[in-house]
Amino acid sequence: MDIDVKNLHPLEVRLLRHVKVGEPITAERIVSELGYNVGQCNQAFSWLCAKNYLVEKSRTTHTLYEITDLGKKDEQDGLPAQRIYNYLKEQGAHTLPEIAEALGLEKSEVGSAFGQLSKGKIARMDELHRAFVEKQEMLREVLIAGKLLSRALKAPLDDATLSDEEKRVITTISKKRGSDSPLKVSEKEEVAYELTDLGGQAKEAVIKSGISGEEFNAVTPELLESGKWKNGSFRPYSLNAPISKIIPGRLNPYGAYIQWVKDKLVSLGFEEFDGPLVEDNFWNGDALFMPQFHAARDIHDVYYLKDPVHAKTIEEPWFSQVRETHENGWKTGSRGWGYEFSEEFTKRQLLRSQGTVLSAHTLTHAKVPGKYFGVVRCFRFDEVNATHGADFYQTEGIMLGKDVNLKTLLGLLKMFATEIAGAEEVKYVPSYFPFTEPSIEVHVKHPVLGWIELGGSGIFRPEVTRPLGIDVPVLAWGMGIDRMALMHLGLNDIRELFTPNIDSVRTRRGN
Amino acid sequence: MPKIEVSEKSFFHFLGRKLSDAEMMDIFPVAKAELDGHEDGVLKIELNDTNRPDLWSAAGCARQLKSYWGEGAMYDFFSTEDEVVDNEGREMVVESSAAETGRPFSIGFAAKGHAVTEEDLVSLIQSQEKLCEGYGRKRKAVAVGIYRQNLIHFPVHYQGADPDGTSFVPLGLDEKLTLRQILEKHPKGKEYGAIVADKPKFPYLVDDNGDTLSFPPVINSAASGAVQVGDDELFVEMSGPALKPVLLVAAILACDMADMGFTIQPVKVRFPEPTEFGSEITVPFYFQKPVTCPLGLVEKTLGEKLSADDCIASLKRMGIYAIADEENLYVTVPEYRNDFLHPVDVVEDVMIGHGLGNFVPEAPHDFTIGRLSPAEEFGRKAKLVLVGMGFQEMMYNYLGSRREYTDNMHVDGKDCVFIANPMSENYEVVRPSIIPSLMESESVSGHAAIPHKIFEVGKVCYKDPSENSGTTTRNHLGFSVTDNAVGYNEVSSIVYTLMFFLKKEYTLGEVAEDPRFIPGRCAYILVGGKAVGIFGEIHPQVLESWGVGYPTVACEIDLDLLRQAN
Repeated sequence: MDIDVKNLHPLEVRLLRHVKVGEPITAERIVSELGYNVGQCNQAFSWLCAKNYLVEKSRTTHTLYEITDLGKKDEQDGLPAQRIYNYLKEQGAHTLPEIAEALGLEKSEVGSAFGQLSKGKIARMDELHRAFVEKQEMLREVLIAGKLLSRALKAPLDDATLSDEEKRVITTISKKRGSDSPLKVSEKEEVAYELTDLGGQAKEAVIKSGISGEEFNAVTPELLESGKWKNGSFRPYSLNAPISKIIPGRLNPYGAYIQWVKDKLVSLGFEEFDGPLVEDNFWNGDALFMPQFHAARDIHDVYYLKDPVHAKTIEEPWFSQVRETHENGWKTGSRGWGYEFSEEFTKRQLLRSQGTVLSAHTLTHAKVPGKYFGVVRCFRFDEVNATHGADFYQTEGIMLGKDVNLKTLLGLLKMFATEIAGAEEVKYVPSYFPFTEPSIEVHVKHPVLGWIELGGSGIFRPEVTRPLGIDVPVLAWGMGIDRMALMHLGLNDIRELFTPNIDSVRTRRGN
Repeated sequence: MPKIEVSEKSFFHFLGRKLSDAEMMDIFPVAKAELDGHEDGVLKIELNDTNRPDLWSAAGCARQLKSYWGEGAMYDFFSTEDEVVDNEGREMVVESSAAETGRPFSIGFAAKGHAVTEEDLVSLIQSQEKLCEGYGRKRKAVAVGIYRQNLIHFPVHYQGADPDGTSFVPLGLDEKLTLRQILEKHPKGKEYGAIVADKPKFPYLVDDNGDTLSFPPVINSAASGAVQVGDDELFVEMSGPALKPVLLVAAILACDMADMGFTIQPVKVRFPEPTEFGSEITVPFYFQKPVTCPLGLVEKTLGEKLSADDCIASLKRMGIYAIADEENLYVTVPEYRNDFLHPVDVVEDVMIGHGLGNFVPEAPHDFTIGRLSPAEEFGRKAKLVLVGMGFQEMMYNYLGSRREYTDNMHVDGKDCVFIANPMSENYEVVRPSIIPSLMESESVSGHAAIPHKIFEVGKVCYKDPSENSGTTTRNHLGFSVTDNAVGYNEVSSIVYTLMFFLKKEYTLGEVAEDPRFIPGRCAYILVGGKAVGIFGEIHPQVLESWGVGYPTVACEIDLDLLRQAN
């Protein structure tokens, strides 16, 4: 097995370097020999055991005696028996209440301490119930108890380190819950570990790598200031350590895709157009030579406004020219649709149902030659499902020029196929749109999706261009970019493009 | 777009040959058709030209393909104003009372000599339906009835009848009902009754013996109006408010039935007043005028100099007869077509007949300068500043519900643009502001790690009486921050940074009242003294309505105003 010493923490490194194979390794030892605190020691053990470098060898229980607050006081002032003895020796015989009062002890404490002295024949009571010292030598067990307290002040006493006599004495001054006795008894388990074979190999690897565990942890202003870094090295890191996640600020990947498409079209010489969401029938259909009775224009296909129902006016000369074109062809060379054009209907307002509306608007002020495009939000009366949204983007555009024709249109579509769909193969199919003649659909072989319909196009009918003041041919095209966008985003439901779900958008990548 | 289903047996019979799917896919574009499916002997065909109802049947689609192979059909049963085919005594009389029905035109023709097969029947019913539903706009413009001719005594009378005093047994029921009762009781009456319900008289078709044919456009009589397999004498009648559409449908159905094997028998229709084609019309009737198409227009439109002969041959492949001189093509429009409005319509047929694949794409050579709109450029600047401050860009639908845009925001919504015919109340109003969209995100993203810092640059729309439409569409920026602890100072800092990098000097103005924000903890952003935006701490009543459990601050700026302000 490979041992990556960079995975070792300095606490582990120093421990490994310090211990030898076969030695018992205990917390007590590491604390005293390496100066770790108990917490560091336990961390090192736990990490090393997890790596199978250390293994538990034995587990022994120790009884420990820890000095209490009372014990600390007794150690300083002397145990009650000692104090009573000293008092009686200096002040002569006194009754027990007098002693208690003079020494500030509880009567019960005085009682039990005198009992001890009396039992050891050190002191006794005279006929006036006054205690007096009988023997000049102090009771041995009290002396031992005093020494034990002094030792316990420095470090808890381990039962295993006591003599039999000390063991006997210590029980008299200790309790399990020890606030009212000088010493508190507790039991502690001590675990002894040993290096495993693997641990031995790790030790070798550490030594071989020259890592001491004393390396610098990080560059700090102090380290730079002092220049100490020149005399040491930095702890190498494990390169594949787990990382924490960052939530970055980001563009929406669908929006980024749309920006990309816009930039592409700008690079092909197109100027962007835009417009209001609310349109009227005039621009949404009439100006595009869709007859007012066209099936795509009834209430089951577009969203009409509740209020205001009508636009105030339709600008002239567009209104009259379009109306006449519908009725009799006006000066366009067309026979027209031959019906009575409704002014009420043409003013009725709706939510833009097709991007071509903006192409029509643009014609009224377009330059020749000119190329225009828009990626614009449209609305259709449709059941919302995986392939239909409540509102959606359409990508549309026009190209005006004295000499543009079908072949230019095919060339333009080919450019879109290559530049936007990344397709090599293109297929053109005759199609039908009310506002173009001829009309062409373009299918492309997308590198991932296979053959897809990229869009519809055509040459605007003279019935569309002439009434809006344009006398040159106008190529018109629309592209469906949503399928490609979904593919880029790894989605298959169009509703997901406009999801309000933050997590979903945060993790979405796109191309 | 119209879709038809035809048995391959029937379709291949019309074609006079069998084709593989690949061959069909190859040739179908000639008829702007697509093979949508081919299962269990049934072809699903989608027809893309909504202005060519003649293609919406197996016979019509096959006719177009056959002419491409040089097997175009000729139909000799059409009368014109000058040449009238013998009607052998079959007549229809349109009575003056028909004017009171709102549908003054009814015409018909007869057919014999072919026993109706199962496939014919399916095909006829489908054609009738496509023509009446699509081209006839749900029978409003054209309704068609087909009857058993052997039960009919000519002349047939079309009249306006008393809705309550006229009764017959309608197809599908076995009781005699008045015309008005049919509207109430018969399923077809409920479906189509509205077309005539408010008229003083209802359309009524009856033969010379007084036997009812039908109550167009609603339902046939049970007696003569139930065509069955094996019938070999039929009468077809079309009615509607205008003459040309019914003549066109008659022409299409007559050609289809001739292709099935029927002999078409003309019927002379007498009108009470002269029509644009006279007061007597023998149906089927050819009413198209020749179209003149300059050869120069062909060249200019297609970008290819095609000779007159090339053009004539191309049109012939489309089933169109044409002659030419040095300048022009003179086109005789086929009987079943009515889509030549302008010479460019001829050009398209030349294009398809010549083969689209024979036109070589040419790169555009006019130089034009591309540029983004100023709003797009400014929006992108704002987006980048927000992204730099750790915000995630969101994109939302613009249509939503009253609950989201007004109720949950505790605003009255009187400036909102509502839809008159919403499909559902979930999508009945255009958003007047971006903040509700941001709140919707918060309401569905409780599980997303906080802080949430989100924004959108998008459009909003609300009423504005000063505009021609009475509404205005604006480009807005909206952002919000939701966190364990977030308040006015944070959002104010963000606004400061944004405005600094957009190079706009601003001051803050007090907001008198806005129920979306906590009073005293929101401010207007003023540029040149004009409010271009608002920001502050979202009011707990709004958070509660949206079910948001964390404090939220939000800001919305009119980017169009900001961009133009100094």
